[in-house]
Amino acid sequence: MKKKNWLLVFTIMAALLLAACSGGESSSSSGDESGGGSEEVESLTYASLTDAVGLSPIMTNDSASSNVNEHVYETLFKRDSETKDFTPVLAESYENPDELTWVINLKEGIKFHDGTDFNAEAVKYTFDKLRDPATAAPRASLLEPVDTITVVDDYTVEIKTKYPYGPFLAALSHSNAAIVSPTADQNQDLMKEPVGTGPFKFVSWTPGDQVVLEANPDYRDGAPKVKQFILKVVPEVSTAISMLQAGEVQFIDKLPTEQLSRIESMNNVNIEKVNGTGQYYLTFNFSNEENQDPEFRKAVASAIDRDAIIQKLNGLGVRSDSVIGPEVFGYNESADSAGTAFDLEAAKELVEKNGYGDRPIKLLAANRGNFVLMAEVVQAQLAEAGFDVQIETMEWAAFLDTARAGDYDLTFLSWSNVTADGSELLYPNFHSDNIGSSNRAQYNNPEFDQLVEASRTTTDQDERLDILNQANELMLQDDAVVIMYHDVVTAALSDNLEGLILDPTGQWDVSKVTGK
Amino acid sequence: MAELATAPGAGVNKEIKRERTFVVTMKRLLKNKLAVAGLIIIILQIGMAIFAPLITFHDPVKQDINASELPVFSENHWLGTDNYGRDVWSRIVYGARISLVVGLIAVTLGLIGGTILGMLGGYYKKLDGIIMRIVDLLFSFPGILLAMLIIAILGTSLVNVAIAISIWSIPTCARIVRGSVLSIKEKEYVMAMKSLGASDLRIMFKHILPNAFAPIIVFATMRMATAILSTASLSYLGLGAQPPTPEWGAMISQGQAFMWSSPHLTIIPGIAIMLTVFAFNVVGDGLRDAIDPNMDI
Amino acid sequence: MISMIVRRFFQLVFLLFGISFLVFSSMYLAPGDPASMIGGPTATESDLEAIRDNLGLNDSFLTQYGNYLAGIFQGDLGYSYQTKQSVAEAISIRFPNTFKLAVASMIVAVIIGIFAGLISALKHNSWLDVTSTTFALGGISIPNFWLGSLLILVFSVNLQWLPVAGLADPWYTVEGMKQLILPAITLGTGSAAMIARMVRSSMLEVVRADYVRTARAKGVKEGQVIWIHTLKNAMIPVITVIGLNFGALLGGTIITEKVFAINGVGRLMIDAIAARDFPMVQGSVLLVATLFVLVNLIVDIVYTYVDPRIKFQ
Repeated sequence: MKKKNWLLVFTIMAALLLAACSGGESSSSSGDESGGGSEEVESLTYASLTDAVGLSPIMTNDSASSNVNEHVYETLFKRDSETKDFTPVLAESYENPDELTWVINLKEGIKFHDGTDFNAEAVKYTFDKLRDPATAAPRASLLEPVDTITVVDDYTVEIKTKYPYGPFLAALSHSNAAIVSPTADQNQDLMKEPVGTGPFKFVSWTPGDQVVLEANPDYRDGAPKVKQFILKVVPEVSTAISMLQAGEVQFIDKLPTEQLSRIESMNNVNIEKVNGTGQYYLTFNFSNEENQDPEFRKAVASAIDRDAIIQKLNGLGVRSDSVIGPEVFGYNESADSAGTAFDLEAAKELVEKNGYGDRPIKLLAANRGNFVLMAEVVQAQLAEAGFDVQIETMEWAAFLDTARAGDYDLTFLSWSNVTADGSELLYPNFHSDNIGSSNRAQYNNPEFDQLVEASRTTTDQDERLDILNQANELMLQDDAVVIMYHDVVTAALSDNLEGLILDPTGQWDVSKVTGK
Repeated sequence: MAELATAPGAGVNKEIKRERTFVVTMKRLLKNKLAVAGLIIIILQIGMAIFAPLITFHDPVKQDINASELPVFSENHWLGTDNYGRDVWSRIVYGARISLVVGLIAVTLGLIGGTILGMLGGYYKKLDGIIMRIVDLLFSFPGILLAMLIIAILGTSLVNVAIAISIWSIPTCARIVRGSVLSIKEKEYVMAMKSLGASDLRIMFKHILPNAFAPIIVFATMRMATAILSTASLSYLGLGAQPPTPEWGAMISQGQAFMWSSPHLTIIPGIAIMLTVFAFNVVGDGLRDAIDPNMDI
Repeated sequence: MISMIVRRFFQLVFLLFGISFLVFSSMYLAPGDPASMIGGPTATESDLEAIRDNLGLNDSFLTQYGNYLAGIFQGDLGYSYQTKQSVAEAISIRFPNTFKLAVASMIVAVIIGIFAGLISALKHNSWLDVTSTTFALGGISIPNFWLGSLLILVFSVNLQWLPVAGLADPWYTVEGMKQLILPAITLGTGSAAMIARMVRSSMLEVVRADYVRTARAKGVKEGQVIWIHTLKNAMIPVITVIGLNFGALLGGTIITEKVFAINGVGRLMIDAIAARDFPMVQGSVLLVATLFVLVNLIVDIVYTYVDPRIKFQ
């Protein structure tokens, strides 16, 4: 047994050593030579947990692909994260001659990376391709309200919608509505060789390993200071953090809450945080008769201590009852505490009175991210109130299917709202049109449906704000969901760099990153 | 695959002799220091599993948000607590139950499947070809992948993990059994039984199977080790125990996020797995040495 | 020999057929819809339906499987549902990395295994024997996902001797070799234990054999006796382990590749399973199975050279 003891001692000592000199001395990053007072950055490497699915905005809808595509392609508009207003990017301006018509003027003199001119034809080409059923684009529904697209002149496009569509600019600023080079799309596979108008040009992609981009020297706002931008796949988040500490990568995002203290203790990185548009919520399966009992929902809601969850998240969550979060269009402060408050005694009473404890409840959770953490805490809290809850975790693919089919009692869902518009949250998640697809709660409330429809077909933004707030309050009165938290977007950047733009939607932009 | 002809158990035929062999084997085994150490660990494990409620003072799934991530040797929690404030010692002790039971189910199922296939293949020449192809098929399939596919179909749970793991011990077991059947089938006394009109089933179970017993028991012991390790690996990948079940692999996987702040959350379950797997391995190893060092396992 | 190879080839075809059916039906039965993995959580029902139509997922099981087989017979492994890339191409990018990892860990395993096995056998029943057996069996008992992250923390983050993760191309640079060390150790320890065990028992047998005794009696030096006479015989179990373990090794790469961010076939497989990317799962499983069979064929051929007593039935 001698060697055995030695091994034990070794592992324990190693662990203690690690605990003792956490952070330790860490070498400065090898890639970015920011010497000589120059603020140029030779190379910036980002660790991505998953590989991009592809490099065409039309054919992909995953965040790893978006991370690449948002640097290579551009959209017509984007939502300003400060003012929540839409600012033109490739567009110059727009006007609405009537409720159904959008006339968009485009910026002139912009070229795609392959030399093709950016013009009205390119916009029409891209949008037609996106909505063509033969393309089978994952987000074809973004342009579902569009009826016709007409090229008025080289730099003017006229889009007619089938019905008045309020969140249209939000749809156009979605990264899946980015404009691609028509010549490139016809001559090559954009999934492998992307060509856009963005600040970075594509260099190479080794699937499963890394995507390499380089600064676009002809970019209209000046070439980015980051000469080479590498998105490297590192599937294990602990490994990614170790690489950050050792300087093998300079940038990671979506910091896991459990490892926040470790990253904070590292002396070669800065953590950046911004309140996000996404939210995590507990939902009831409304196709289940027992869940339609409002008192049951009230009992569950009052049994859940959401502050305890935020504490477990190490503060990486924003507490608000409101379904539409503080960073999302449609939010109203009054909704912050309009939901059922945590009250264990009240929950116990309701459970006792109605015998809820006799009903076995299946709490479905996807086995990734914070879902398991929430499930563990909530299961314990519900048990405290007298509920009989069993957790069932599933891998993501099975989870999506099971939740969509409504084969659960309670589950956790999340929504990362890329357009930051309340309609884009309420419609897909809770409108009865989407039962069987994205309305996994199977929520069906005609009054609510009407409000959501009104929020979509109204083009007056103030009026929309009001309607969205009404819909929000309706859900809260109904205890339709229990909002666990609104997310906080995080990133850690090597401390010799600055200028990362972190958007509340979780997207980010490295084109303004410079050395210090 | 080439069959390196192996004669298991040196062809011990008579009942009396078999009993004597058992005593001799045990004597030899007890001389092996490592195997004894392994035996002691296993006995302790079983004791832990059986008397779990008596030797723990906390509910293994009871959370205490005010006492989370306590270090080792804390008051009330001598192995500390995890990030939910659950007592690590209780989780380790109850985890022993899970590991042993899942391992046992997996190995038993695998043995049953493997024995049936091996017997049929060895005894009936006609079936041999097809059965050995099935065995080859299972062999060439990476075990963990097979388990993942099975769990993808059946759903995530410990029972399904046990089933998935059992399938991957079938091919080896089938080969061992088939080998012994082949070497015994043509023996005179089996032929004699046959001519006396004994049924195939009777011959197989009464006369042939006991002779394959030695390699099977060695195989089973070693497989326990593999099964426990595999359960942990699958739980680590999120495909095993459902939270808040105190499964060791799941504990490591959860604790890994705290490797920096609370290394004991991964190190303690890691050591628990290592010790258990080690114990089954040395006992298996010792058994083989004691029975027949040239056994081909 | 030739006839054996031909027979093996037919068995391989049968085997691949069986595996492809097994994989196809299990992916078909497993819950989870490839379309919703492509569309993401935001996709609407009409988006999903268009994707399903496009991939032919609305066809019956037999039609889908038939189409797949038809493709295979034309040498076409199909295209990934997710990335639309050719499966053959995707695998050819990853395979070299897995192969490097497997070979490197086999080297680690053989070195440690033979060394530990030799010590045990030569100093039979001594404390050295106990120690090295403990060490070898300890190696097989360590969960490799645990070992991997422990090694990173100690050697890469704290001591900073070795890089954390990744695999440089080409591997034969100093950087590339350094990156291979930790994953090779992580993956190799299990096989090392097996090799040590087999070397020990076959060495024990050989050391007591007549010809070694004769050699000793003739005054041949101890070192020569060991190396020339016995080690050659002890190679047989080592080769067996390499053959049998190669499959396990390819399976083991799944976790090691994940921990060390190596872009290999193991990771491709789990990602494909998670994404319900059927053609990709099929292609990579078929590749692994084929390799397993080929490696074992080579092992069997090598046997006949190492030990002429072995003949094939």
